[in-house]
Amino acid sequence: MEAFQPWLVDTLRSAKPVGQLMRTHWAWPICETLHFFGLSLLIGAIGVFDLRLIGIGQKIPLAALHRVIPWGIGGYVLNMATGAMFLMAEPDQYIYNPSFHFKILFMMVAGLNVLAFYSVVFWKVRALPPGVSTPLSAKLIGAVSLMMWIGVIIAGRLLTFYRPGVCMTAALSFPFYCVPQ
Amino acid sequence: MHEFFLWIETSAFSVWMRESLSMFAFPGILTAHTIGMGLVAGINALVDLRIMGILPQVPLIEMRRFFPVMWFGFWLNAISGVALLIGYPTKALTNPLFYVKLVFIAIAVILLRSIQRRVFTVEHPVVESEKRLAAWSILCWAGTIASGRFLAYTYSKLTSLDH
Repeated sequence: MEAFQPWLVDTLRSAKPVGQLMRTHWAWPICETLHFFGLSLLIGAIGVFDLRLIGIGQKIPLAALHRVIPWGIGGYVLNMATGAMFLMAEPDQYIYNPSFHFKILFMMVAGLNVLAFYSVVFWKVRALPPGVSTPLSAKLIGAVSLMMWIGVIIAGRLLTFYRPGVCMTAALSFPFYCVPQ
Repeated sequence: MHEFFLWIETSAFSVWMRESLSMFAFPGILTAHTIGMGLVAGINALVDLRIMGILPQVPLIEMRRFFPVMWFGFWLNAISGVALLIGYPTKALTNPLFYVKLVFIAIAVILLRSIQRRVFTVEHPVVESEKRLAAWSILCWAGTIASGRFLAYTYSKLTSLDH
């Protein structure tokens, strides 16, 4: 990890044109706005599907609602793209940021949860007639997904309060934060 | 106005919002505001897209089951938004963009209530005028998010305290 992090920072920083673009006047807030659009699209699509798995809106056929997933993937791709822009512009602000580590962790658990859903649960629930309660495994997967994406939002929003450098020396940790100048 | 801003900014809650190092003060309330945004704008946009024609096999009227979660997001943001405003009244109220954001929210809420009344009380095939309402609804939420995000970059005065 001690060799990996500096290597990653250097590698990301080598994408110089991105850094130059992101330091132009409005590039950063425009990308943040797009990141928030993607966040809303992801929560609107994946979150609603999760709620259906948990048991809300049971009269909606699951197979029909499953078609919402590409919209969620659209939001995910938009956020991976804009997220990569932030990362390439200011790599050390993320790679050494504990909040970013939690964000990646939550995204990885959400990813494994998707694998679990499609390998085990989807085939059981796909053909369930409307109005029939989903099995416990589907409810669990929906709840984990919802919690992980909310965790991603929390860790993402708190990034700015755990900036490395200034905040490392402040010796403050959760639930306290430092105010970067 | 200066005295009004000062009066708010010297109140205990406002000072706590700005100066507390607790994660549950400014960072936590800002985070709640982001989660609420995802719920209200995200779910409303999905309902709008369904009205506009995506997911035709999903019974539209049944999407009202998700409305309580959407309204929870709205009220979470109304409350967290007021808390953020009490923390930094000068910053928001001296920025014209803040009023643009409020107008977007007001129109979005009027559109949402209109959509709930017209589309979700009696089941019927979607008509053209309802699709137009849905399209404007998406635009208003996008405008709310964009103007909210730009507030952090366009303010001219943070507080009235240092004057």
